[in-house]
Amino acid sequence: MDQGIKSRPRYQPFRIDPAGTQHLIVTDQPSPPPGISGAAELWTIAPHPGGQSFPTPAALLASLPGHLARQGPGFRLYAIGTEPFIWDVAYIATHAGLTEGELFLHHAGSLARRVHCIHCKTNTDRVTTNIVTCAGCGANLLVRDHFSRRLRAFMGVQVDAETPGILPPIETLYP
Amino acid sequence: MTQSARIHVRVAEIEPLNATLRRITLQHAEGALLPASAPGAHIQIELRGDTRSWRNAYSLVSPPGTRTAYSIIVRKVPQGRGGSLYLHERLAVGQTLTILPPVNLFPIAGLARKHLMLAAGIGVTPFLSTRAALAETPFELHLRCHAADQPAFQTLLAPWPHAHIHAGPDFNPTDLLRHQPLGTHLYLCGPTGFMQAAEAAARTLGWPAARIHQEHFGAPTGGRAFDAVLARTGRTIHVAQDQTLLEALEAADIDAPSLCRGGACGECRLPLLAGTPDHRDHFLSESEHATSIMPCVSRSHAETITIDI
Ligand code: FES
Repeated sequence: MDQGIKSRPRYQPFRIDPAGTQHLIVTDQPSPPPGISGAAELWTIAPHPGGQSFPTPAALLASLPGHLARQGPGFRLYAIGTEPFIWDVAYIATHAGLTEGELFLHHAGSLARRVHCIHCKTNTDRVTTNIVTCAGCGANLLVRDHFSRRLRAFMGVQVDAETPGILPPIETLYP
Repeated sequence: MTQSARIHVRVAEIEPLNATLRRITLQHAEGALLPASAPGAHIQIELRGDTRSWRNAYSLVSPPGTRTAYSIIVRKVPQGRGGSLYLHERLAVGQTLTILPPVNLFPIAGLARKHLMLAAGIGVTPFLSTRAALAETPFELHLRCHAADQPAFQTLLAPWPHAHIHAGPDFNPTDLLRHQPLGTHLYLCGPTGFMQAAEAAARTLGWPAARIHQEHFGAPTGGRAFDAVLARTGRTIHVAQDQTLLEALEAADIDAPSLCRGGACGECRLPLLAGTPDHRDHFLSESEHATSIMPCVSRSHAETITIDI
């Protein structure tokens, strides 16, 4: 279902920015993308040779602010992974003072979405279907293509408000 | 900028700061309030000499928001095009002038974690009005200047506890640029050579363009005289050695837009139709130089140049 909404983020293919002098790649994917040079530091979830590994994405994210606070000009951060992960990284990085040209986001892996219920403001994670039951208020939400950078989530709007219980067919759209 | 935007002002005060620097204070000629200005803003001043006129841009050094008077600081440049000599040798208290309202092309980045300001000589002037706007954000200001100017600048920078004055030519900002926290914004103002060197050092250290801000204060240097053919009317105007193409257009009563008069803002851009341009701007890319010219600073290598105005 193409909803014709153009606020979906677009991502460039991964590449190391040659203008940087210090590079950190963080990913929630089992294997980092090919072509990562030894010049970059690598943080992963699954153990990976030459990289630092964390038990969970949350643990990785928790270590990021302290690391960023010690960086200076020339530092580049690359986040590779699912949209909820890379936008969490973007949020932390922006708060640490990173700006355009220092932070690069690349989508990889599952298309599963974090959905923000516009009614009760709860986020529901790992949504793969066009319609999802809100983890907060239980409403049946239509997952829209509208991504909010501020909320780091796709917007979910109750789909059966007029006709309770009558839902369009449920499909897996974001495997 | 159109005629109607002009403001008539009266010279209220002239204070020498040293042998080559003077502060000039202007008030509205009819005693009205002047437009409020933002930190880092500049005005354009029109000066009429006996045989020619000038329009120069000067940073406001009066506190932002002050509406009763504007102050500028002018350096006497004997080998310049004459505008600064006029302001140093001819200008008298009580005289009236016309100015264009303040414009700010050098805003302080609101989201910066820290401001690092590097200035050379009179290039410190756009920073002087930003002190209050920096509020709680950490900042550091470094000024490179001639030893003879040090006392005057020290006085001007008295409200700046973190100002460092480097008298003499050997100030190298590389170490400073290397050791800055993430989120630091860099501001440069001074002669072109100074800014180019500092920018190149910053880029080598990986500073992204989005965190480098430059103020090119209008210091066009003149060059050989040439003629400009104005394609729309077929008119030809002469551009004298010590005049800019923009000034020649203005002298011919052609309403040419401008803001920075230093080749940086892009406002004065004109389509170039024929000729061998002598590009001196910091705005256009290499490829744009084939079809555009910035008349506030750029000139012609050949005897004539044809522009679309
Ligand atoms: S007036 Fe700004 S580039 Fe010419």
